[in-house]
Amino acid sequence: MEEQNSQNAHFSFGEVFQNTKSFIDRYNNRQIKLTQKLNANHRATAELITRLYLKQLNKAAQLDNLDLENLPGFNTYNESLAKCKGCTKRTIINHKERLKQSGFITQEEHRGKGGVEIWLNPEVLGMAKLSTPLGDNVLKIGDVTSIFYEKAKNFHPLVHEHQERLNNNSKVDKSGTQKSGVPYGHESGKATGTGHEQDKNTEENANPSSKQQLKAPERYYKAEKQERVAGAGRIFLLSLIRQFWDYARKVLYPDLILSEPEVREILNLIWESVYGKLQSNATEKDWLKYQDTAFNRVNMVARWLTRSPGHWIPKPHIYFHPNNERNGFKKTWQWYVKQETLKIEIRNQLLLQQVKSEWQQHEQNKGRFREKTRLQLFRIQQKRLAGYRDESLNQAYQQCLQRCLHLQSLKPKQEAYAQ
Amino acid sequence: MLSEQMQREALSKCIVWFYDGNVRTFYSLDKTHKRALPNQGLGIRRLEKMLMETFKGQWETSIIYENKPNGNELAKFKKGARV
Repeated sequence: MEEQNSQNAHFSFGEVFQNTKSFIDRYNNRQIKLTQKLNANHRATAELITRLYLKQLNKAAQLDNLDLENLPGFNTYNESLAKCKGCTKRTIINHKERLKQSGFITQEEHRGKGGVEIWLNPEVLGMAKLSTPLGDNVLKIGDVTSIFYEKAKNFHPLVHEHQERLNNNSKVDKSGTQKSGVPYGHESGKATGTGHEQDKNTEENANPSSKQQLKAPERYYKAEKQERVAGAGRIFLLSLIRQFWDYARKVLYPDLILSEPEVREILNLIWESVYGKLQSNATEKDWLKYQDTAFNRVNMVARWLTRSPGHWIPKPHIYFHPNNERNGFKKTWQWYVKQETLKIEIRNQLLLQQVKSEWQQHEQNKGRFREKTRLQLFRIQQKRLAGYRDESLNQAYQQCLQRCLHLQSLKPKQEAYAQ
Repeated sequence: MLSEQMQREALSKCIVWFYDGNVRTFYSLDKTHKRALPNQGLGIRRLEKMLMETFKGQWETSIIYENKPNGNELAKFKKGARV
C-alpha cells in the first residue's frame, strides 16, 4: 500500500507481497480444476516481477513525482527475468501467460529491443477502488450447488471392490427404461440398481440401506424409520426434477413433441446433470433455493436465445447430458455464478459509496446524520451492513473506515503519545 | 434388415406408409453397443432420424409403436412432421 509522503510516493514491499499472495490465493480458490490453479512456480515469478517492479517504482518516485492514477509499467526483458529466476525464457513467457489469465498482469506491451512493459493489477499495488474481495461466491449463492460442482470426481477407489459378474438369475433390473417414469435407479432407491454404489471420494457405500442391513437386528426398526423419512424426501426431490423439466420445456422447447420414453430419458439426464443424482444431504429449504437458481438459469438461457436468431441450443437429450461439456446446461452454472457475483459486487460498491458520502457529509456538518456523533453514525452503518451478512462487505467497510476517518494517520500519533 | 432375434428384442417399431404404396416396418436399435443397456429413447430418436433424413420426402405417414402385442403408439409423423 502506498504511503504518500509530503512529496514522494513509496510502496512498501511487505504489503504488496501480502496483496500478491492474497490475490493468487483468491484466484486459486475460485478455480475448480487443479490444472487451472497457479502453482508455486507461477507464484515465484509473480513475486519476482512484483519485487523488481517496486524497486523500479520507488527509484522513479525518488527522482520524480509519480502520478498514482497512471503508474508507469514495469520495464524489463524476458531474458533478464529468466536469469534472475534461473529458468529459461520460454518458462517466463509461459508464466506471464498464466498470470495474464488470472488477471494479475493486466497488460503487456512488447517493445522489440526495448524489452517488454508489464502493468500489474492495481489491486496488488493497493491502488484499487474500495471493493469487496471475491470470496467463495458459490457458497453465497447456495449450499447445494457448491456440493455438486466442486466435487472432484473419477478418483480411483482406494479399496478394491469385486466386480459384479454377469448373473442371469440376479433380480437387478437391467433395462435402461422404466415403466413408472421415475428417474433411473430411484424406483429401488439406488443409483445404479445394484447394492454396490460407492461414493467417489469417501469410498463409503452411498446406499444407506445396504449399510443398515449389516447392523444388528434390534436396529432394524430404527433403520426402517430412517428409510421412510428419506423416502418422503425423495418424492419431494423427484417432484422438483419434474417441475424443472416442465418449466424448461415450456420456456426452451415450446414446440417440441416427445414420447414418454424420451421424456423419461431426459428426466434421468436432468437428475444426474442438474441435481447431482440427489446425493446432497441438503434440507428441503436448500433444495427449494437451488430450484430457484435452476429456474433462473433457464430464464437466462431463454433471454440469450431471444437476443439473436443465431443463438441456439441442442435438443434436450444432448443439452442436459451430464457429459456435455461443450454446449450443455451445465455450463450455465459458471455463467450464473458470474452474474450473481457481479450483482453482489455492484450492490456492495453502492453501499460503500453511500457509507463514504455519509462520512464526508458528517465531517462537513451536512446530511441527515449531522447531529449524530461519530460513534452513533458508526453503529447505524454497522447495523445496516450487518443485515447483508457478507463477511467481505464488513472487511471492505473496515477499509473504508480507515480511509474516511484517517485511522492510519492516527496510529503513529497514538504510538508517539504512548512513548 | 435386422435378424429375427433383434426384431424380437427391439423396444419399438416404426410402420411407414410410402407414397409409392409400399408399407414397411422398421425395428429400433436401442443399444449404443452390443452389451449396453437398451435405451428406448435412443431407439425412437434413431427411427425419427431415419424418417427425416434417409427416407425424406418418400413417405406420407409413419407411426412408432411399442414392439409388443397391442403396444401403445409412441409417436406419429405426417408428411415430414411430427404430430
